[in-house]
Amino acid sequence: MCLFGFGVYHAAAVFKGARTQIQRPTDATAPALPGTIYVVQGQAIYRFDHGSFRRITAEEGWMQPAVSPDGGVLVAVKRSLNRSDVYELGSTGRVPLPLTHNQAESVEGNHWAFYPRFSPDASRVYFSYDPKDPDNNYRVDLAIFATSSDPQSSQTVQWTQPNEYTGGDVEPVPLEHGGLMYTKFSIDEQSIVHSQVWFQAAPGSAGAALTKPADDCAQPAVSKDETMVAMVCRHGGLESTDLELAQLDESTPALGAARVVVHGGLVASPEFSPDGKLLAYLAPASASGPFQLWTVAPNSASAPAPRQITTHLDLDPSSAPAWTNS
Amino acid sequence: MYFPRPSRLIAGFVLAGLVGLVMYFLPVFQSASTATSRTGPLPIQVGDPLRSATGPFTVLLLGSDDDAKFPQDRVNTQSMLLVRVDPTAKQATMLSIPRDLWVPIPGQGMGKISTAYQTGGADGAVAAVESNFQVHIDEYVWIGLEGLVHLVDELGGVDMVITNPVMDDFYPADINTNDPYGYYRVAVLPGAAHLDGVHALQYVRSRHGDLRGDFARSERQQQLLMAIKARAEHLNAADIPGVAEAMQGELKTTIGLARLRVLLSMAGAFNGSSVHRVLLLPPNTSEGTAAGQDVVLPDWSQILPLVHQSFP
Repeated sequence: MCLFGFGVYHAAAVFKGARTQIQRPTDATAPALPGTIYVVQGQAIYRFDHGSFRRITAEEGWMQPAVSPDGGVLVAVKRSLNRSDVYELGSTGRVPLPLTHNQAESVEGNHWAFYPRFSPDASRVYFSYDPKDPDNNYRVDLAIFATSSDPQSSQTVQWTQPNEYTGGDVEPVPLEHGGLMYTKFSIDEQSIVHSQVWFQAAPGSAGAALTKPADDCAQPAVSKDETMVAMVCRHGGLESTDLELAQLDESTPALGAARVVVHGGLVASPEFSPDGKLLAYLAPASASGPFQLWTVAPNSASAPAPRQITTHLDLDPSSAPAWTNS
Repeated sequence: MYFPRPSRLIAGFVLAGLVGLVMYFLPVFQSASTATSRTGPLPIQVGDPLRSATGPFTVLLLGSDDDAKFPQDRVNTQSMLLVRVDPTAKQATMLSIPRDLWVPIPGQGMGKISTAYQTGGADGAVAAVESNFQVHIDEYVWIGLEGLVHLVDELGGVDMVITNPVMDDFYPADINTNDPYGYYRVAVLPGAAHLDGVHALQYVRSRHGDLRGDFARSERQQQLLMAIKARAEHLNAADIPGVAEAMQGELKTTIGLARLRVLLSMAGAFNGSSVHRVLLLPPNTSEGTAAGQDVVLPDWSQILPLVHQSFP
């Protein structure tokens, strides 16, 4: 009878609301995709190819990997308490070399570095960094900088000037002809925060918004031929996002009318496949929960059907999948 | 040899099963007996309990620093949210009250509204809001910082859309520490996110790096409340002991089980469009100084009509 009572005690827990069981990527299987994709879970970078995952770093604050144009080198962020640095590392994760040195003795003397991306010629690495405001140490706004991809070099240029007290400029996408696409934030007269995809031709130049404030678009990804832009837009909402696609006219520059590819839910961090035929992005398996890897065919004539690639992972949605041919 | 009669055997198994169930739900009973520390009765209308559970009601949500900077019974409320829920119409309104709002506090004189809880407990906070905003409050919920962290973790995290980077070089490191005045750097990155308790707290507590200061924090607190509501849709009775255990000592409320049941059952009916969010931005308020402190000054001629649209 005591055993029966003990059994009832444990059986009651069976009726708890369903909780997603999380797997390590190395324990998961998934449909194979062309090329190699780098994703992040539990502060480690994983390499996904031929349908299986391999961990290439320790679980030590690693996030936001980006791959060089030839696929041979990665840049990624290593985050710790109070600071983060950009490192260059081989495609199997070995021998990380720091490109930034953000450690300081005082807490507020440290710096952040996020969202590293190679330039198309691989000579520079763009990233978001928080320069200090000498007049107000409460102000911490990220600006986009570019540095040489050679760890021995220290030439760094500030590209953007963020709007004050908005959190700053993030998610740089360097373009073939030297321009830069990124996300800029603003706060309007009604105290509403907006995000816009922005274009800048040169360091310190004025730049131009490619999307309207009311669309609240962010996280731009550009196809390799630079004709298409994928972005995440929330249109004033705080509970869901859309994955949208627009033609890019680099001569103006301007974006054509945006088309919704994935509507609603929580969509994050799109990235084109190297051939431009697929978009990878991160979203929960259902309406909520940990983020999984999905793909969708952006050029599908009919309404494209998203394809869920992973089922029980807990991927970092701020780390866009880094997709390469090699 | 003694063999029990079948009826005794069945009764024994039923009893053992009941004991198992009681043990499973024990944290709920413990929480109910220790968490509510209200010293005086709220002016709740006594009547048909079913009607009062399903009729419209107003809740004051209080969020506190319960860290080592304050004696345990003398904490401020860093956030005050007035919520009107209409279960029948499936509508809700959330009004964030600025913590630095300079108001007359019953029994205390002029002060920041955040100090009403410090001097008068939940009764004091309820009285300050009722007298200044001229509303009737049916229930209150108080939650401490660690309580919020535990709640979000017990729910399995919350899903949020982070509108912009939330950056703070002076975020208080005041939980589980020997130095309650220490600080560390926070960077909550933008975009869709699945936040655990610690990061959800960072998101709703940080205020130094935002142009809108405490108003931005209030907006994020409302957003978190909606995210918690969304996760609560997946809860059922078997989850309640775990939640209650996680909240031990970190939650005080007058909400009874009948009303809680109604709230849980209707959580899925609310979405973004059925929840009206109100912030007391300028011109409803203005920044100023009083008694040597930076405060938020109310313009009651603007605030009261706004409040009474939603809070009878």
